[in-house]
Amino acid sequence: MTEKILSEKNLVVRHSLLELIEHWAIAISGLLLLFTGIFELPVAKRYYIITVPGLGWSADFITSLYIHYAAALVFTAVGIFHLAYHGFRGEKGMIPQTGDLAASVKVMKSLFGFGQEPPMHKYLPEQRWAYVGMAFIILMLIISGLIKTYKNIYAPDMSLAIVLTATWIHNIFFVLFFLAFLAHMAAIALRPNWPMVRGIFTGKVRLDYARHRHALWIADIKKRKTSNH
Amino acid sequence: MESPKISKISRRSFLQITAGVAALTGMSLPTTVQAGSDTLSTLIDLSLCDGCVDRETPACISSCRGINKHKIPKVVDSIPEPWPRKTIEDWSKKQGVTNRLTPYNFIYVHKAEIETAGRQQTIFIPRRCMHCDNPACATICPFSANHKNENGAVVINPKQCFGGAKCKDVCPWEIPQRQSGVGIYLHVLPGFMGNGVMYKCDLCNNRLAEGKLPGCVEACPRKAMIIGPKKAIEAEAQTRARQMKGYIYGKKENGGTSTLYVSPVSFELINKTMTKKPGQPDMKPDVKRRMVGTDPLGKTVLSAPVLGLAAAGALGWFSRRKKQVKTEEKDND
Repeated sequence: MTEKILSEKNLVVRHSLLELIEHWAIAISGLLLLFTGIFELPVAKRYYIITVPGLGWSADFITSLYIHYAAALVFTAVGIFHLAYHGFRGEKGMIPQTGDLAASVKVMKSLFGFGQEPPMHKYLPEQRWAYVGMAFIILMLIISGLIKTYKNIYAPDMSLAIVLTATWIHNIFFVLFFLAFLAHMAAIALRPNWPMVRGIFTGKVRLDYARHRHALWIADIKKRKTSNH
Repeated sequence: MESPKISKISRRSFLQITAGVAALTGMSLPTTVQAGSDTLSTLIDLSLCDGCVDRETPACISSCRGINKHKIPKVVDSIPEPWPRKTIEDWSKKQGVTNRLTPYNFIYVHKAEIETAGRQQTIFIPRRCMHCDNPACATICPFSANHKNENGAVVINPKQCFGGAKCKDVCPWEIPQRQSGVGIYLHVLPGFMGNGVMYKCDLCNNRLAEGKLPGCVEACPRKAMIIGPKKAIEAEAQTRARQMKGYIYGKKENGGTSTLYVSPVSFELINKTMTKKPGQPDMKPDVKRRMVGTDPLGKTVLSAPVLGLAAAGALGWFSRRKKQVKTEEKDND
């Protein structure tokens, strides 16, 4: 387990290097997929996106497809890796737990100045729900995207029912992915969440913040440390 | 969408046409030719097409227009102005145009005056959708409104098409043509999304489903067009090209198509008589399928789940092993 309290530096290790790599690989490839996915719609010429310096290529659907495929390779491989690796290790920190819904409501209310936040684990209850939602969206995008890729290369005359299903799942979940991304950004914009932002860049968050907001997590780390000795 | 699972030309119709061809050319098709569930292909023999010079309009065009005359619904009186680029393509008042592809005209005939070996020759070339083997127009349609059927016909569903013209952009011959002011986009966000419906030859897919021939094939008075199972048509094209010491177009162009032109004159020379203009495609030999370059990367994407699983397995094994070694060291201490 990477999680470690660094009292002298007033820090606590929240994410391992592997987790940081996974997050940023998914984030960067996901954004590339989002933009090149938009460019697969006939919008670049119509909305003069091609006139934006550096985006002259955006109306060329084949160029966008190259980038879309390259990003999809990373997105799919890392997405499946994440699911398999952490799943096999039995890591359940981000899976919603009993009582998360009620706790989420409490946290949300507290963000707007109503009541106190309940003591929390490493991840906030609504963060766990958001994770499952995002994971489901990503999984649907991967499955439908793989079907569409197979069709592009090997089976242009694939059953129309399958093609239409995959296409519409891909389009609908593309919109949901975009909304989920906006929600993710909105969560970061909330002041109480700011201390967590450094965690996703450096892997560490402030210890005083963690003690105050993630008391259950810090207690957990201490308990594990004691039992290891 | 009317998409017959397997389009079958009735054996009778097919034999009628092949018998006609045989009578004209003094040949017969290979005995293996049969109507069936195979992918279909058409052969356009330019040594036979005379452009129907004795008619006001070539028979293939008249027949096609007759069959498709009700395909486009009434265009709205006031076509919504797209924003911000204000391109509107309205052919509803120019429905009579037959010398190019339009949403109301899916086939036209190009006349090529060519001089070869000191001899002047006139070649007539009917032009329409080539029904490619792997058509980018269909595979990357964002709504899958354009689809290649099992029988080889590439068909646009006008009820699903938003008229973004992506299919036209990725087609090396820019075949599909847009009519603004019709289609589903009018009911969604007409000013901001979509701009009509794309129209093109659908190989008379509905007629094929009824066991009939495509209109152009049926109407050709000189039987310059034939349709049949792909392999048989390819063999027939080879035979004819060999016999006339001629050339084939469409077999390898854009990665292969289901339309094979056979000509006594090279397509380099024919292409020189053509200037690519809207609705009037050229005939550049060996035109590449642009998506072919993306295929290797696409294949790697298909292997990505295995890569992810393999990496998870390897790293999982490595971290378990590391933990095991640590425990053993601790026990030894």
